[in-house]
Amino acid sequence: MRKILILLVLSLVVAVGSAQAAEKKMKVGFVYVSPVGDAGYSYAHDLGRQAIEALPNVEVKYLESVNEGADSERVFLNMARKKYDLIFGTSFGYMDPMLKTAKRFPHTVFMHCSGYKSSKNMGNYFGRMYQARYLSGMVAGAMTKSNVLGYVAAFPIPEVIRGINAFALGAQAVNPKAEVRVVWTKTWYDPAKEKEGAKSLLDVGADVIAQHQDSPGPQEAAQERGVYSIGYNTDMSQFAPKAHLVAPIWNWAPYYMEVLNSVKDGTWKAGSTWNGLAEGVVDLSPMGAMVPEAVKATVMARREEIKTGSYVVFGGPVLDQAGTVRLTAATPDDIDLLSMDWFVKGVIGTTE
Amino acid sequence: MTPDMIIPLLAATVQSGTPILFATLGAIFCEKSGVLNLGVEGIMAVGALAGFSVSYATGNIWLGFLAGGLSGMVAGGIHGLVCLVFLGNQVVSGLALTILGVGVADYLGTPLIGLKAPGFVPTALPLLSDLPFLGPVFFRHDPLVYISYLVPVGMWLFFRNTRAGLRLRSVGENPDAAQAAGFSPTHYRWLGVLCGGFFMGLGGAYLSLAYTHMWANHLTAGRGWIAVALVIFAFWNPLRAVLGAYLFGGMMAFQFRLQASGTHIPSSFLLMLPYVLTLTVLVFSSWKGGSSATPQALGVNIEPAD
Amino acid sequence: MDTQITGKMLDLTIRKRQESLKGTAALIYCGAVLFSLLLSAALLIFQGNSPVEGISLLLQGAFGSMYAIEDCLIKAVPIYLCSLGVAIAFRLQIWNIGAEGQFALGAIGATWVAISFPGLPSWAMIPLMMGAAFLLGGAWGVIPAILKLKMKANEIIVTLMLNYIAILILDYLVYGPWKASDSYGFPMTDEFSSAAIIGTIGETSLNWGLLICLLSGIVIYIFFKFTVMGFELKASGENVRAARYAGFPYARLVIISMLLSGAFAGWAGFVEASATLNRLQPTIMVGYGYTAIVVAWLARLNPFYIGISSFLLAGLRVGAENLQLELQVPAAFGDIMEGMILLTILAATFFIHYRFARRQRS
Repeated sequence: MRKILILLVLSLVVAVGSAQAAEKKMKVGFVYVSPVGDAGYSYAHDLGRQAIEALPNVEVKYLESVNEGADSERVFLNMARKKYDLIFGTSFGYMDPMLKTAKRFPHTVFMHCSGYKSSKNMGNYFGRMYQARYLSGMVAGAMTKSNVLGYVAAFPIPEVIRGINAFALGAQAVNPKAEVRVVWTKTWYDPAKEKEGAKSLLDVGADVIAQHQDSPGPQEAAQERGVYSIGYNTDMSQFAPKAHLVAPIWNWAPYYMEVLNSVKDGTWKAGSTWNGLAEGVVDLSPMGAMVPEAVKATVMARREEIKTGSYVVFGGPVLDQAGTVRLTAATPDDIDLLSMDWFVKGVIGTTE
Repeated sequence: MTPDMIIPLLAATVQSGTPILFATLGAIFCEKSGVLNLGVEGIMAVGALAGFSVSYATGNIWLGFLAGGLSGMVAGGIHGLVCLVFLGNQVVSGLALTILGVGVADYLGTPLIGLKAPGFVPTALPLLSDLPFLGPVFFRHDPLVYISYLVPVGMWLFFRNTRAGLRLRSVGENPDAAQAAGFSPTHYRWLGVLCGGFFMGLGGAYLSLAYTHMWANHLTAGRGWIAVALVIFAFWNPLRAVLGAYLFGGMMAFQFRLQASGTHIPSSFLLMLPYVLTLTVLVFSSWKGGSSATPQALGVNIEPAD
Repeated sequence: MDTQITGKMLDLTIRKRQESLKGTAALIYCGAVLFSLLLSAALLIFQGNSPVEGISLLLQGAFGSMYAIEDCLIKAVPIYLCSLGVAIAFRLQIWNIGAEGQFALGAIGATWVAISFPGLPSWAMIPLMMGAAFLLGGAWGVIPAILKLKMKANEIIVTLMLNYIAILILDYLVYGPWKASDSYGFPMTDEFSSAAIIGTIGETSLNWGLLICLLSGIVIYIFFKFTVMGFELKASGENVRAARYAGFPYARLVIISMLLSGAFAGWAGFVEASATLNRLQPTIMVGYGYTAIVVAWLARLNPFYIGISSFLLAGLRVGAENLQLELQVPAAFGDIMEGMILLTILAATFFIHYRFARRQRS
């Protein structure tokens, strides 16, 4: 009798324990550098967050407008102390603070976007946005009449420079005479200033405006001047329906889902993930009605080739502004792409 | 840079100077009465949001513009309440108002991000726009730019020729004397704070209704601080404010055009141009004498004596 | 003199309090903080959250654990140093809005030492870094002082413009000549050698920057209380004309106060670069220089009160973060709360110096 009682109690304890284990919610945190309402970069990540929020047994929280540096370190520490299982940080400057925190909290998985450092429990990831930029460059190159493409860019960091270069190569692939002119705004989000930057490009003869900015300021400038534009982050056609040709866009949901599941079932491994068109993390928005079918077909064909790997963006030889060969390999090393700080031939401007 | 780029450059100068001009004029009006207002950035943010949301809700752009001004007045009223009723420190109140105003605008504005509202579009003025050179530079803009040509002159006349203007100025110089002359300095300070807030709000509304046609978080992006600086640059003179705003806006437009034309100067140095030039011009004009224009009672609260 | 402000509030008029109210002042401050928390609670209800939960999350996040208090102290360090700096200039009625730029130059100076002489041992490295931060930050403060004295240029606009210029200089350096070779092209300098990093205190996560704050505060207190120059500076601030009449060396005082002002902000830049980032990168600029102005005035320019108010303001920001995380309110909500709390406290200080009195019928 006594044995049975003990057994009963024990089984009850086990049952309750395992039920609790099954019910234990996984805690996931996202940290963004700008407000998620900005309809830009952080917003694109937040769409991914919302997708995993819908899953059962997951508690997903976010913090927005977190400064890089000391503030972010405190935020990561606090999330780790609160026993978050998985923390995403989506700005480059979070890299070192995240690494420091990861060393102190080995049981939390850290995922850093857009950097290059990793450790036992910290991975890094990014998307090959340059592939989609290349395709958008093809559209721009096909649509320009003046052969001058304008590019309003935020900061001269490799991610942005890589995008400009890919855009230029794409444009030159369909239009060897195309040149890309660049202005730096030194801001991610200042609609009025970015619009002003776009106007200055229009004044030097650009008739397609592309952007690496989070606001649709440049789109408006193109629409008002009656020329074309290329968006970024998400489909920006609502801001400039007559101008918007296409936009290279982010789609984080599938990847975030994958990471979450791998952490959940214990198969997660630290490392670097740099997915592209093939995995669907970057893509093109639908093209505007002004883009001729023939152009659409050429671009979509190239999209397939990049997806299957039969075409490689930045496959050598790639020349820099001075005409020196900088990339020779048919498939360039990721290191060379990740640290790109020079412009390809046909880009007018400086990377300083 | 080629000669045919000069006209577009100057036209861009006028447009990018206009929001700063409205805000600078507002700050001048406020400071002439002796109330230092470092809250311009916050007041502009509130004005930008109110302008956009009213234009979005009613479809009437003029109503939107007016709402921008009125909301700026309300925001300025907070500064008035703290500094004129509770005699709080004007520096802290202004800085706190900046934090509050930007916060409120971002908070309430989130649902409006990505929406389109009707806004002002360029309307060439008949006859004037056909003038050679001057036409394309000054008279092919949106109507708010034309209003911005009139406000400085109006304000200048107000300070010079009206009784209220003279009294407002005297309160900024010496409130005790105003009291002795038989009118309430506090009332005129309220006038300064509220009307000043109105123009700062208009500056914000210009950003969301004319410069761009959208609402975005932190749309003002530091322009309020530029206005704070340009008040001093202008030696509190509404006409000189035009010079300051266009100098600043012009240098910003100029450096972008230098970049677009393919210069190899590092962008950090080019982006420094507006600040360096504003500073240089200020230093030389101060040297030549003009800095004595500071309202003597600026930043000093009117204290009860006993 | 019948110069009461006619507040026209009912039948009341404003009177200056005759005696200063030491005990009541503390009470009034507490009341103001309480009132502003009530306002925040109202905001939380408006947001659709429980006010009790919200406020307790705020306080817990700021002061609820050792970690939290450490976090607040870490965040308070740069605010304190910048604030101590601007307070010196404000004492002399010099409106130094330029702590932000002086902070940047201090960080640049310290970084220059750290990356130019990476082999130095820490006993030489740290003092040299501090010296460079002191000189460059100080120089960035002296420029507006000289322009004010020689060219009559208003210091508000000069310091404000110099802030933008300083940040762009910092940008130029980290995007250009100082960019690390192993940073994959990202704008940041090489990581400092361990000798150039000020360490943590014991088992805590606090760094020795706290000690710099403490010593600086004491030095400034002594300077104003016990030195001739400190007295001259204070007196000149209260009445420039009288001070000049009394033969105080006004120009020298302006230069020295701006030198110190910039130097302390420069040290804040040094601490941030060395202790928290371990290198220089553009993200070092987060607006401490502007926060410092608010803190200095709230503390009535007193080094001790500056300590308290920078700690509380840091606490407010750290706590608001916790509130955001747990209740998922937008970041702008924290700004609204901060703005409201500051304005409330500011308005409340009124009652320390004035009282409402029933209007006397004449």
